[in-house]
Amino acid sequence: MIGLTHYLVLSAILFSLGIVGVIRRKNLLMLFFATEIMLNAANVAFAAISSYYHDLSGQMFAFFIVAIAASEVAVGLGLLILLYKKYGTLDLDNFTMLKG
Amino acid sequence: MESLVYIALFSPLVGSLFAALYGMSPKRLVTGVVTSLLLFVSFVASVMLLQHVVNVGPVRVELMDWIVAGDMRIPFGFAVDQVTAVMMTVVTLVSTVVHVYSNGYMEHDKGFNRFFSYLSAFVFSMLVLVMSDNFLGLFIGWEGVGVCSWLLIGFWYHKEDVGRDVNPSISPSWAANEAFIMNRIADLGMLVGIFLIYWNIGSLQYEEVFRAVPNLDHGLLVLIGIMLFIGAMGKSAQFPLHTWLADAMEGPTPVSALIHAATMVTAGVYLVIRANPLYSQIPEVSYFIAVLGTFVAIFAASMALVNRDLKRIIAYSTLSQLGYMFAAAGLGAYWVALFHLAAHAFFKALLFLGAGNVMHAMDDELDIFKMGGLKKQMRWTFLYMGLASLALAGIWPFAGFFSKDTILEAAFNEHSYGIWFVLWLTAGLTAFYSFRQVFLTFLSDERYKQYGFHPHEVQKYVLWAMAPLAVLAVVFGWWKESFMEFVTQLLPAYEMSEHTHHMVWILIVVTMAIALGGIAVAYVLYAKRLKRSEKIEQSLPYRVLSNQYYIPILYEKVFSKPYAELSDIAWKEIDLQVVDATVDGIAHVVEESGDGARKMQTGNLSDYLKWMAAGAILLAVLAVFAALKH
Amino acid sequence: MENILSVLIFFPLLAALLGIVVSKETIRVYGITVAAIEFLLSLWLWFAFDTANGGFQFIEYIPLVSDFGINYYLGVDGISLFIVVMATLMTLVGIISLGEVKDLKNLIITLLMLEVTMIGVFVSLDAIVFYLFWEFSLVPMLYIIGAWGGEKRLYAAVKFFLYTFAGSLIMLVGMLYVAYVYQSVAGVWSFALTDWYALVLPISVQKWLFWAFFLGFAIKVPMFPFHTWLPYAHGQAPTVGSVILAAVLLKMGTYGFVRFSLPMFPDAAVAYIVPVGVISIIMIIYTAMVAYAQEDMKQVIAYSSISHMGVIVLGTFAMNAEGIAGSVFLMLSHGIVSGALFLLVGVIYDRRHTKLMSEFGGLASIMPKYAVIFGIMLMASVGLPLTIGFVGEYLSLAGFFKVAPVMTLLGGFSIILGAVYMLSLYKKSFFGPVTNEANKKLFDLDKRELTALLPLVAIVVWLGVYPKPVLGPIDTSAKALVSFMHEKAQTPEAKAVIHVSKSTKEAR
Repeated sequence: MIGLTHYLVLSAILFSLGIVGVIRRKNLLMLFFATEIMLNAANVAFAAISSYYHDLSGQMFAFFIVAIAASEVAVGLGLLILLYKKYGTLDLDNFTMLKG
Repeated sequence: MESLVYIALFSPLVGSLFAALYGMSPKRLVTGVVTSLLLFVSFVASVMLLQHVVNVGPVRVELMDWIVAGDMRIPFGFAVDQVTAVMMTVVTLVSTVVHVYSNGYMEHDKGFNRFFSYLSAFVFSMLVLVMSDNFLGLFIGWEGVGVCSWLLIGFWYHKEDVGRDVNPSISPSWAANEAFIMNRIADLGMLVGIFLIYWNIGSLQYEEVFRAVPNLDHGLLVLIGIMLFIGAMGKSAQFPLHTWLADAMEGPTPVSALIHAATMVTAGVYLVIRANPLYSQIPEVSYFIAVLGTFVAIFAASMALVNRDLKRIIAYSTLSQLGYMFAAAGLGAYWVALFHLAAHAFFKALLFLGAGNVMHAMDDELDIFKMGGLKKQMRWTFLYMGLASLALAGIWPFAGFFSKDTILEAAFNEHSYGIWFVLWLTAGLTAFYSFRQVFLTFLSDERYKQYGFHPHEVQKYVLWAMAPLAVLAVVFGWWKESFMEFVTQLLPAYEMSEHTHHMVWILIVVTMAIALGGIAVAYVLYAKRLKRSEKIEQSLPYRVLSNQYYIPILYEKVFSKPYAELSDIAWKEIDLQVVDATVDGIAHVVEESGDGARKMQTGNLSDYLKWMAAGAILLAVLAVFAALKH
Repeated sequence: MENILSVLIFFPLLAALLGIVVSKETIRVYGITVAAIEFLLSLWLWFAFDTANGGFQFIEYIPLVSDFGINYYLGVDGISLFIVVMATLMTLVGIISLGEVKDLKNLIITLLMLEVTMIGVFVSLDAIVFYLFWEFSLVPMLYIIGAWGGEKRLYAAVKFFLYTFAGSLIMLVGMLYVAYVYQSVAGVWSFALTDWYALVLPISVQKWLFWAFFLGFAIKVPMFPFHTWLPYAHGQAPTVGSVILAAVLLKMGTYGFVRFSLPMFPDAAVAYIVPVGVISIIMIIYTAMVAYAQEDMKQVIAYSSISHMGVIVLGTFAMNAEGIAGSVFLMLSHGIVSGALFLLVGVIYDRRHTKLMSEFGGLASIMPKYAVIFGIMLMASVGLPLTIGFVGEYLSLAGFFKVAPVMTLLGGFSIILGAVYMLSLYKKSFFGPVTNEANKKLFDLDKRELTALLPLVAIVVWLGVYPKPVLGPIDTSAKALVSFMHEKAQTPEAKAVIHVSKSTKEAR
């Protein structure tokens, strides 16, 4: 049967996909996608565990995460558009103004 | 009585401070007159104190506490006993004469006022030295005379340094520094001696120290005796700390008369005499002192044999006579040493002052080879220097005979025949070089004419000032018996054994013989005219002697230059390159590591995210391990 | 007034803040007046001080952070009293001596702020307050060197700051540990020195703490091999900066030894007499040699400072009242004499804008008053009896002789080597013919310079001849300290070495 473990493995795979994306992707938009994947991986884990333990707080928390992810994306995309307008590129390697 | 002590002690200080007010002004005769007058007052007070000590007894005063710390309580205290009274009289008498003399000698010098200030300050320090009733008070005077002699030797400080071949003393300021530093080396020994005394006896007062001495451990006494003697070696220029004395001739001649004949250099002898209860307990150290003194006597005499410099000859003779004094003290004949100290003060000061007259007449020329036949122009100076030289050579009935002969007797009495023999030989050498100098200066041919000198005698009042010294150089010896009775109230009486009493006449005859022999040889060689010999002057013994056994050059090569070079290395190699470099190195490491760590800040978000991910994974792994452990 | 100590600390602070509104023309008079008032206040303190009492007087106590035992706790005893007086005197002399300086107003305000911190260090009896003032003193000095200094001033100032700061941090760790031990023993936190004195620490703990505190003090003194910041600091600092640095700031280190290391760690102090003595002897001899090799007059005096501090440390570790009293007196004498010497170097620097001795020569013929005062200070520096320099040096060496005779002999070389470099300096600069044209028209000391220097000359002679009014209270407190150490010592070896004077009266 499909048990908790399967969901957690799925979550882990999704999370690692997200991390790989964060590490490897140079395009800022792609970075956002990868971050989204990570967040959703966490959601899967929350929902699965909540269902397994019959405790609704996990699924509530998943809703929180969805809401916050949405707002974060909204702000992020807004900034991203401004960035693109100013510099004409979204390649991370070009943004080294904070080099110390 | 107390007020007499203070008058004797402080009059020179008052004079010095008075003259110091005019220190930077042009010559004011009043400074010379006032200081001489105040010195005379001090002399009168000293004589009155001497009278009092003869008739009644010692006088003690305590002015106030000086240093009080822990258990150490050191007052400004003064005690005038038999020894001190003698020293005070000698010092103040010679000082008064020198002050009056200097009025004439320094007549045209720009630093006239300054000179008298320094001179009186010197006398004050010397009086502190001989009048103090504790070792640290003595040390005040000790260092005080050191400073004043630095000021006075370097009086003509504007003269520049020259090479040793031009002037073996290089320059007055160089000689002054040499004197001060050499004395300081000895002073360290003396300080250690003082520390030993304090921590083992608990006090530095003479009375308490000498009372405790018989109960102390012998080894400790030996150490204290050696340390104090090291101090004496510096002041009295005993080998190997002797080179400063000859170089001190760079100072004005009255300075040489006062400091280096009569007073400062005798401070070392005074110390040994004063500490006689200590030295009587450690005969091995005393014997070493006597042997060293004997060595110095002949060592110095040898250098005087060939010297051409008028003042240096007299300086070496001082060194030689100091050796005699230490020999006497080392042999236990303390009163004899004191007697010779006093007699020597008179005739040696007279010699120096006479030399000053000659220099004045000869435009400060010092080379006796350029003089000759001066007795025609300078009858009185010739008479004075002749008298003084007779006294120095130990010819009866002059003062030196009584003092020197007694020293030789004492040596014989102690069965120290080696010492007797060397001192006897030195007596001959002394007579020879003294009269070599007298003959070459005043008799023989008038070589000065070819150098264009126009010598003349000094002012009458200067000659009158020198008169007391001349009189004493003649008659002082006749008071030997009363002197002995007086000082042996404090000092140990030194009795000659029966054996020596029989031998006394033989000894006297033998000593007189070699002294007269020395004079005779000098007469034959120099009285008619100066015969110079290339062969002799180029010979090794001659060159060794005239270059002071090359010891000053040795000191320069072994001590001065290496010290300067080591200091340079200490600074440039060690301090700058090792110590400081280590500090800067640490700073450098910090800076470099910061610079290295900086590379992490690329400004690139992707790189930062990589680091974050790596860090997070690491933490997760660690958490798993920690959990597994439990 | 019982609050004299707080007044002494904060009056210059007020004056400094007020000084911001004072105009440039009157700032010099203002500065001198303020410093003079402060000096008179310190004299008042001396006058009101009870010289027979070896303990702390004029105590002030205001709780600050009572949960951790940090309080505003002040007090003076015979040891700190005269250092305070000297600090105010040297500040006054320093301000008087200021000539044509740019931004004079800022300099005077900074000097007054510095005075606040200096006095604070010497009167505070709470470790944290002590540390605060100790560290605060670095800032005005940093500013003085950095803003008014020579060419390499930034390097010198930063080196000075970071080096001393690093040592102090280690000392802070030590202090915190002592507080921690106190808390574990007594149950409450306290940083009050008097409480710490009552604490008997186990020997192993004492030894570590001794070295922690030692590092902080040693860098400040400065002891070999932590001394290399000093030549740069002196070389680049303006004259007044050097004067205050040498006269007062260096004394904080040696004062720390007497106030902290000796009473709190008596066993460790006795156990480490030999290493400390060896370091001091290296300081004395090595820096004397380096001083001799210098070509710059100011550097000679800077290195000679280090050499004399070596004798002070020897006296401190003599474990008897003679030595400790001697070392405190030597602190005072060194402060005055070094301060005067730096002022004197400043005199010739003001005229010729160089300090190289090769540029001088024959100055005595041209500037006789200058030569005389320099000569007097020279003699005081080499420890001539009847000058202030002799009393302290003699007592320090005499005291140390009891515990280590051979090391004292080596340390006594300071009298020989000191004479060597000082006389060499004097001969190169003052004696001989006048070789350099530029020297021929120099003016002798003017009124301002004489006003600054003559009081110092007077003190040098007065305290050399009659040191009792100063030496007395110092001696009383030193005796009390030694008998306290003797009681507190645990090892028999320490009890044997610490020598209580027979004439000790009843202590605190």
